[in-house]
Amino acid sequence: MKTMLRAIGVMVGGGAMAATMASRVASAADQDTQVVEITAERFSFTPSEIRVKAGSRVEIRLRSEDTAHGFRIKGTDIDVELAKRGRGVKTITFEPQTGRYTFECSQLCGAGHEFMRGVIIAE
Amino acid sequence: MLHSSTVENYLKAIYAGVASLPPGQRLVPMGQLASAVGVAPGTATTMVKTLADSGLVEYEPYAGVALTAAGQKLAALVLRRHRLIELFLVRMMGYSWDEVHDEAEQLEHAVSERLIDRIDEMLGRPETDPHGDPIPNAEGLVKQQDSQTLLTCPLDRIVIVTRVIDQDRDFLRFIEQHHLKPGEAIEVEARDAAADSVRVRGRNDQRITIGTRAASKLLVHVARALLLLLLAWPAFAQTAPSQPRPTQRTSLSGYMDFHYNNPEFGDATVDFHRFVLLVTHSFSDRIRFVGELEVEHALVEGLEEKGELELEQAYVDFLLTRGFNVRAGMMLMPLGIINERHEPPVYYGVERPFIDTVVIPSTWFEAGAGVHGEVGRGWRYRAFVTAPLDASEFSADEGIREGRQQGAEANVSSAAVTGRFEYVGVRGLTLGASGWSGRSGFQFRPRFNVPVSIAEADARFSRRGLELRGQFAQVWIDNAGLLNDALALRAGVNPNIARAIRGFSLESGQRVISNARLGEVGAFLRYENFDTQFRMPSGYVPLREFDRDAWVIGANYWPDPDVAIKMDYSIVGSQSSVVRAPNSFNVGLGWWF
Repeated sequence: MKTMLRAIGVMVGGGAMAATMASRVASAADQDTQVVEITAERFSFTPSEIRVKAGSRVEIRLRSEDTAHGFRIKGTDIDVELAKRGRGVKTITFEPQTGRYTFECSQLCGAGHEFMRGVIIAE
Repeated sequence: MLHSSTVENYLKAIYAGVASLPPGQRLVPMGQLASAVGVAPGTATTMVKTLADSGLVEYEPYAGVALTAAGQKLAALVLRRHRLIELFLVRMMGYSWDEVHDEAEQLEHAVSERLIDRIDEMLGRPETDPHGDPIPNAEGLVKQQDSQTLLTCPLDRIVIVTRVIDQDRDFLRFIEQHHLKPGEAIEVEARDAAADSVRVRGRNDQRITIGTRAASKLLVHVARALLLLLLAWPAFAQTAPSQPRPTQRTSLSGYMDFHYNNPEFGDATVDFHRFVLLVTHSFSDRIRFVGELEVEHALVEGLEEKGELELEQAYVDFLLTRGFNVRAGMMLMPLGIINERHEPPVYYGVERPFIDTVVIPSTWFEAGAGVHGEVGRGWRYRAFVTAPLDASEFSADEGIREGRQQGAEANVSSAAVTGRFEYVGVRGLTLGASGWSGRSGFQFRPRFNVPVSIAEADARFSRRGLELRGQFAQVWIDNAGLLNDALALRAGVNPNIARAIRGFSLESGQRVISNARLGEVGAFLRYENFDTQFRMPSGYVPLREFDRDAWVIGANYWPDPDVAIKMDYSIVGSQSSVVRAPNSFNVGLGWWF
């Protein structure tokens, strides 16, 4: 029983530490460029709602947590492929005008592929 | 009493002038009126004084003019004639909408009320003309429209064009050319104040940027949920039949799960546990199908207890907005982590966790319908109405598992509701809570109610190779005593079904090797505690053998992120000193594409 409680304690403690680390979301760089990190995982992008400053230069760093995905911002020419987990980060830049830009997975990744969507809100 | 066309034109101009006045102002300036009817101010003043003597207008020198009730009714009836004539010319005579205004200007003074009433009847008593302008009724009353312009409507929401308030020919042609006529469904994607422009997404995802002046002349209203559903339907999807439909596509994917199991008190077996093919098809950008056909244990043969062929998913999604979508068909119940997300490469361990087998009976799928969506920074929801469980199939060791109706001529004399909320706003973290509630006693005669409720909460965190999972679930079966009595009468044996089933699990995994060329290796440890007789009905004693726990330790090797070779050792214990649960050594191979 003691062993079991110790194991549970280790797991819960580890989870709490990891959650604290996760709360520090990276989205800052130099003054002119806003950096946003997006993680793709079947079947969602995280974060899926991103607010940026209209007219500024936005650097988007894309990473997959599983298989290969695509990243397309509708209404723009941006459409890139994301390598599978552990095979690199894709970086793109984007200068949005005021408005909402829907992004989606552009490479078939499974049954929920059609639901991988998000929105960039430029204000 | 018949009035001259000049009188009618003045009344009409004052009527339109009043509508354009800012709030708090009620008199149309004489200069504005003179300009509208195309005469000198002095001429307009003379005419207005005559109209005032007739009781049609109220005139205040140096201030302006307004309509009396009689004048307002007369002006509205002129507009009624004008707008019905426009619609008649478009619908019945084949005129285009940009050429009817001038014709109607002439005819509105010439036609009788009797003819206008016949036209109104023939057209089906329409409420608007081809430009979306409201048509007053025979009493001169106008139905108020609750509209916004493209400058004020919400962004990124589907809105329906209701009215174009400029009838300049070139402007109307422009509107038609870009599919912005009344009735079209569009979205305003962006407004750029610096450039005085508005970007609109219209039919077939075509985008157009228009000036703010043009945008101010297009009135819209936000589409309601039911209308959005209709718009998603092919008959309403505004794709001309002759145009290509580039968004139509069909794709195939699937996953497989192959196991070697060596239990402590039995012979080892190899089992092609799951072979699953998924077909998805996009009818359009807004209507999509997902189908999943699964063969379990490889062989489906007659009535023998071998494999199973299951239609696990077959639903159509009507994708309306990010926050609100409709789904109908055969759907996975949105309970817990594994039931919706059980492809082998995404979890540790050869077999699925016990809590996702004996407490949440995954894979649990039922026929039904519901809604789902995502709002804000990662708040997701799903809510479905489905067929209920069949309580006559519940058991002591497997709980509610065999009660799933699985869409096979499922009894829906009562409906079950299920839903899930998730937060995925922090990278790597998923927090979820789900529930299910339904009445499950429909098989018994006389019928009695067996309400079943399930509550579940889970958390999943994954970052830099670390993966942590935790899950808790509890099932409540009301009237379990009555259920046991009824089943004992039927089968001769009391099934000893509990009134509460409970379980939880905690898991920690870490990828210890990660190499782009050689693949990844991860090790994990999971603890589970589950009891299918957690609480018994009055007069029943729980059997200790069903109060179980399990430690599972093992490793996954991913030569590719979509292929997993798994190995684990499962130590299962129970509170019974008589009945021992078997430990087992398991190896698995799974892949997903």
